[in-house]
Amino acid sequence: MLKIEKTETGDHCVLRLVGEVDASNSVELDLAIQQLMAENVKKILVDGSALEYISSAGLGVFMSYLEDFQDNGVRFAIFGLSNKVKNVFHILGLDQLLTIEDEEQGALEWLYEG
Amino acid sequence: MFNIQKLNIGKISALAAVLAWLALLFTDLTRLFGELNQIHTAIAPEVSWALEIIFFILLYIFYNNAINRTDNYNFIGLIWKSASTGLVASGVSLLILFFYYLLDDSRLSRDPLLLNFFYHVNFGLTTVFLISATMVWKHLILYQKNKIVVQQWQAYEVILLMSMFFMFFNQNTLNYSFMFGLVFLMIFGSILSANLKWIPYLSFKNKWKALLFVVIILASCAYLFVQLLSYSNSNFHLVNLTDNLFLLGLFGFVFVYALFSFLVTLFNLPTSSVFEQKLTEAINFQRLSRSIQPGQSESQVLDILMDSCMSAAYVDAAWMEIQHKSFPTEVLHQRFISNQDRKEVREMMQNTKPFLEYFSEGMQWKKDYALGKLNHEAYTSALVFPIKVNKDLVGHIFLLKEVRDGFNKEMIDIISTFVGQATISVENYRLLNEAIKNERYKEELEIAQRVQRSLLPSRLHHNRCFDVTGFSEAADEVGGDFYETYQFDDTNFALIIGDVSGKGTSAAFNMSQMKGVFHSLVQMELSPVEFLSKANSALSHCLERNHFITTTYYHIDTAARKIRYSRAGHCPTLYYDVDKGESEYLAVKGMGLGILRNASFRNYICEKELNYKVGDVMLLYTDGIVEARNEQGKEFGYERLKQVVDASHGLEVGEIKAQLIQALYDFVGASTLPDDDYSLVVVKFLH
Repeated sequence: MLKIEKTETGDHCVLRLVGEVDASNSVELDLAIQQLMAENVKKILVDGSALEYISSAGLGVFMSYLEDFQDNGVRFAIFGLSNKVKNVFHILGLDQLLTIEDEEQGALEWLYEG
Repeated sequence: MFNIQKLNIGKISALAAVLAWLALLFTDLTRLFGELNQIHTAIAPEVSWALEIIFFILLYIFYNNAINRTDNYNFIGLIWKSASTGLVASGVSLLILFFYYLLDDSRLSRDPLLLNFFYHVNFGLTTVFLISATMVWKHLILYQKNKIVVQQWQAYEVILLMSMFFMFFNQNTLNYSFMFGLVFLMIFGSILSANLKWIPYLSFKNKWKALLFVVIILASCAYLFVQLLSYSNSNFHLVNLTDNLFLLGLFGFVFVYALFSFLVTLFNLPTSSVFEQKLTEAINFQRLSRSIQPGQSESQVLDILMDSCMSAAYVDAAWMEIQHKSFPTEVLHQRFISNQDRKEVREMMQNTKPFLEYFSEGMQWKKDYALGKLNHEAYTSALVFPIKVNKDLVGHIFLLKEVRDGFNKEMIDIISTFVGQATISVENYRLLNEAIKNERYKEELEIAQRVQRSLLPSRLHHNRCFDVTGFSEAADEVGGDFYETYQFDDTNFALIIGDVSGKGTSAAFNMSQMKGVFHSLVQMELSPVEFLSKANSALSHCLERNHFITTTYYHIDTAARKIRYSRAGHCPTLYYDVDKGESEYLAVKGMGLGILRNASFRNYICEKELNYKVGDVMLLYTDGIVEARNEQGKEFGYERLKQVVDASHGLEVGEIKAQLIQALYDFVGASTLPDDDYSLVVVKFLH
């Protein structure tokens, strides 16, 4: 079960993920990010504090946008992941390609840095 | 063989009959000549009678044979043959009368020999007519045979035969025994005449034809009988051929049966359409119940259903509505009604009882149909039937009539039967399609399982220095885990474990791609980093978007007791060190294959080396194991895995594997189904 809450504040947009991302609902995450890209949002923040689990399908969604973010100059950051979920990103090596912060503050700072 | 025999019987008997008649003629003329000229000829009347009987019997045989060979159902043809014979006999008789009329009162007209000759002609033709008609009646009576009727007829034939010989006993005089015999024959013939079951099967047109022909037969019969009487009243002949029981009995039988046929056919005319209607309904029912052939569609059955219902109730207009899920209602098979009228009627129905109730939610299950009056200008009565397939309401059939109360119980019953039968046909068709689909699915799954089995290694390479065993279980029929070994030489081995993202058939396809990549690259004896770089490069071209593969590649050198490995995003290897007395997870920087599909991937992976000791245990596994959840939703986790390995490190590889599997299944519980693929490989170093 997944719920995605979208909040637009100032220059950036926050996607809060609540629940689990698996093969059955990863397409919702995909569509949400796709929509933001279509709206030309240049700063995307993902709040993972309520994210309990992410499967390889969910990871695949993030992975597939890496190039798009780079090509379109989009700053993308994730914060608030639990240790368990953070570990998943770490094992796969995605934490070397995505900005993952513990606190929202840190993530915001990074977003507005570049 | 038999045909030739039958043909011969026909021809022989015909010929013989003609001969018998000629003999009779000759006999009688000779006798008469003798009488007239006072020449004593010793020809007794019995001779004539005997010839007469022979003539009767031969004619009987001929007509019996002739009629048995004709088409069973061509009643009209048969009756016409008989009627035409009657016409011929009557015609000839009339011609003779006319001839005598022309002759007026000349000497020729009074010549007894000529009179006798014509008498014989009349007699012959009358007998032919009577016997042919009797045989036709026999065929009609026995049209629907049952034992009783057959026995009755056989008895009648015996009696007729006996009546032929009667003339020997009473010399054709009309005394009491004669009258008794005649009455008996008449009664028996009348009883047989009640068998008229062939009449309803005639079409309306044929019934009229039958009436005409039967009238001809009746007329011929009556006329020839009157002729007969006139002969018996005159006395120019010496031997009475015609006042015999047999002929008179036949006269009676032919006349009575013809009369009954006429009356019954006449009175059946108004109701003949009902019988035809029932026949049509039965045929329609059969058409509906014939199973739908592959290549046809359900709509064909619905088409036949429409036709059948419309003809069963003589409707003036009709249409069918089919409801599809999430699509608007489709109107099919609209007949004899304009779109506007249809919409008007439909709207009217929403406001008129009983249709209003019928269409309201939930009522359709309680009512079998809706029948009622309409206030439309053209249509005043309507019948609506639901079409239910597998207990789902699929649509409705609407039937309209211009007359009020146009639908009676009969029609409703028949339509109900038709709808039921059409439903069965459609259900059968759908079930059959489901079964075919299921078969196909089963076949595809079997193929997938074979593929899966072929993708996992049949044997794992090792030497005396280490032992290795593996285990894999897929969540679906096919899975995305794989592991493999390769032997470079006596002391050098490659070992790989991997996990394709996703599950099921797509994961299996990706897995087989990885297997191909492994087998190609491993031969080049690359360093682990080189191997993974090249593997990443190869997979970048063929892995689907959004998919990645995690893997760890090991190079085991048993001569140097070294393991070199590199981790591409896979779960960290669990390594039990005998010196430390516990296991730990080998951390090494890495990135999954297919995430970075360019040369920069190389920068994210690195290689590590370790020296192993005897007794060390290495566990390779996939994330399905650590992420396996029990009923409470807790994960098996890295800690528990570590504990099991710590506890069982002393055992040999097979037992360690068993312990791990047991621990996993104990944790997950028997009732929880696996939702990911589990795989593990246990390596133990022995020398």
